[in-house]
Amino acid sequence: MKMLTILAGLILVFGFVWERVDTIRLGYQVERSKAQKLLLERERDQLQVRFSSLTAPERIAKVATERLGMVQPQQGQVVTVHVRPEGVPAPSPSPYEVRVAKNDSPKRLSE
Amino acid sequence: MGPSRPRRYVVLILLLCGFGLILFRLVTLQVLQAAELTAKADRQHQKSVTFEGARGAITDRHGKVLAMNMEVPSVFGVPTALENPLRVARHLAPVLHIRSDEIEKKLRQDRSFVWVARKVLPEQGRQLEQMSLDGIGVVMEGRRFYPKGPLLSHVLGFAGIDGEGLEGLERRYEPHLHGEKRITILQRDALGRTVFPKGLAEQPPAPGHGLTLTIDEVVQYIAEKELEEAVNRAHARAGTIIVLDPQSGAILAMAVSPRFDPNAVAALTPDRWRNRALTDTYEPGSTMKMVVAAAALEEHLMTPGTMVFGENGRMLVANTTIHDHEKLGWMTFAQMIQKSSNIGAAKTGMILGEQRLYRFLQGFGFGQKTDVDLPGEVSGLLKAPKEWGRRSLASISMGQEIGVTPIQMVTAAATLANGGVMMKPYLVSEVRDQKGHLLREFLPQVKRRVVSPETARTMTTILEGVVTNGTGTKAAIPGYRVAGKTGTAQKIDSRTGTYSATQFVGSFVGYVPADAPRLAMIVVIDEPQGEAWGGTVAAPVFRRVGEQVLNYLGVSPNDQVKLAMAAQGR
Repeated sequence: MKMLTILAGLILVFGFVWERVDTIRLGYQVERSKAQKLLLERERDQLQVRFSSLTAPERIAKVATERLGMVQPQQGQVVTVHVRPEGVPAPSPSPYEVRVAKNDSPKRLSE
Repeated sequence: MGPSRPRRYVVLILLLCGFGLILFRLVTLQVLQAAELTAKADRQHQKSVTFEGARGAITDRHGKVLAMNMEVPSVFGVPTALENPLRVARHLAPVLHIRSDEIEKKLRQDRSFVWVARKVLPEQGRQLEQMSLDGIGVVMEGRRFYPKGPLLSHVLGFAGIDGEGLEGLERRYEPHLHGEKRITILQRDALGRTVFPKGLAEQPPAPGHGLTLTIDEVVQYIAEKELEEAVNRAHARAGTIIVLDPQSGAILAMAVSPRFDPNAVAALTPDRWRNRALTDTYEPGSTMKMVVAAAALEEHLMTPGTMVFGENGRMLVANTTIHDHEKLGWMTFAQMIQKSSNIGAAKTGMILGEQRLYRFLQGFGFGQKTDVDLPGEVSGLLKAPKEWGRRSLASISMGQEIGVTPIQMVTAAATLANGGVMMKPYLVSEVRDQKGHLLREFLPQVKRRVVSPETARTMTTILEGVVTNGTGTKAAIPGYRVAGKTGTAQKIDSRTGTYSATQFVGSFVGYVPADAPRLAMIVVIDEPQGEAWGGTVAAPVFRRVGEQVLNYLGVSPNDQVKLAMAAQGR
């Protein structure tokens, strides 16, 4: 009985120590993962900035005209063809749906 | 046999002395110096760090990034830990591109922390980390980047070194854009690593919210490119273009020349980043006739066919002479606008009378802010009728004695384009969190009805005549119906206080396609050299921007018929 109590005590102590050590080990691991996440986020942001600057209309126009020898289309050279699958309603005259904020009904100036 | 009694006493005394010393040291450390040593240990094991969530990004209407934050290195020094500041400064100078004497001056300060260089390039930070100089450290800080360079710079504004918005949208939307600031205590081990992940239970500081603009970066680019070319061609002082959707008031482009790069504002003066589209007033000249004519039509005082006598180019008003640019006789009201007759406009204003004219000027938004969501907007200059002189009625009708901003004038034109209903111009359509969840949506806002749909339609027909037969023929876009009005105003000479004979503002304001407007646009060229007529310097810019933007939006010349039919069916 005495031996069992000592054994149980030892297991408890060992378990407690192991849990503490493992917590610290996991803590370091989490910190490393966090640091890696931070680095990856930084890299993503750097790539995003680079992508945005490379796709700037000014740069694209410069490359198109100076390097590729392209020119602005002249009158009549652009024909817009609207192809609409069957069953799809006609587009609105405005490219952007106009929803209006709810406020008081518009006042008429001369009123 | 045990040790002798005296020897035992010696050992006992030695042991007592030893324990006494240990006890004394313990009391000294644990009691007497407890507070001081605890603080010292905390300084070594704990690190107070201010975390700030990243500033929100700004994107155009299609999600193209116009401004965003990126973590970059900042270099700091610990002067108290430096033995030879001169040597360290000489190592740093070629990497940071700062003079070594400037760095040395910073490192010789009697402080425990100094910034040597903030927000440098990532490559510079890597080089410094490799050099591993004692007393010099590198930390990461968020830096604002504007990847498109000068594009939209006057609207975006810029953020300061500490990440706070100082100008433009960066300033106006500071409460939304800035990230959360939080001070956190980190525990460190002997190697300086963070020991316990205190952050496990804590969320990192929240980043700022992102803004989605109504701006279209391609339309903005077209406007800036054409404006820059026009300003250079005319050797002008400055220029402004605003393009907006008249149905909603959404601003598609706001270009100001000369431009600036918000990534490098340190060397610039505020004059360079001032957004002239809403901070600078000018006398509009003949573009104001559009407003006066609309008022006369709305009040049924005139019809397009009403005959007006042009007084053969000269008319006396309040002991002063009003001139027209050509000798005009009898003409219809519509022709009067198309030929931009000063005398005809003055007569129309006199028929309207002071109170009615003033009411319509207010109705079209002059003398008050448009409430566009940018800081620094001015109200312009519109005096109350009781302050008007004997000539004021005639002068204001011709666009003199009144100060307007480009945003006010384009909003007035957009009102006619929108069937007489004025929409509030706006730049930000959405605020979203970092995960893309919509937090706030800004919808188009009706300000008021200014004139009836009939008046707006009649004005459109008259303004189309300006482009087909009048002073604005150079604004014509082949295949599209354009409505607009030219304006040429003399500037006040600051030395003499009278109208200058050499300084002008040439402008054109209009909309296209006239029958189902997709774009309302103003072009203002400030102090063009040589020929300064609005029809010569500004109207061609309207045409070039208009045809490219319509092309980009996919409004082919044929579409206008379909759009007109759709508009009628609404």
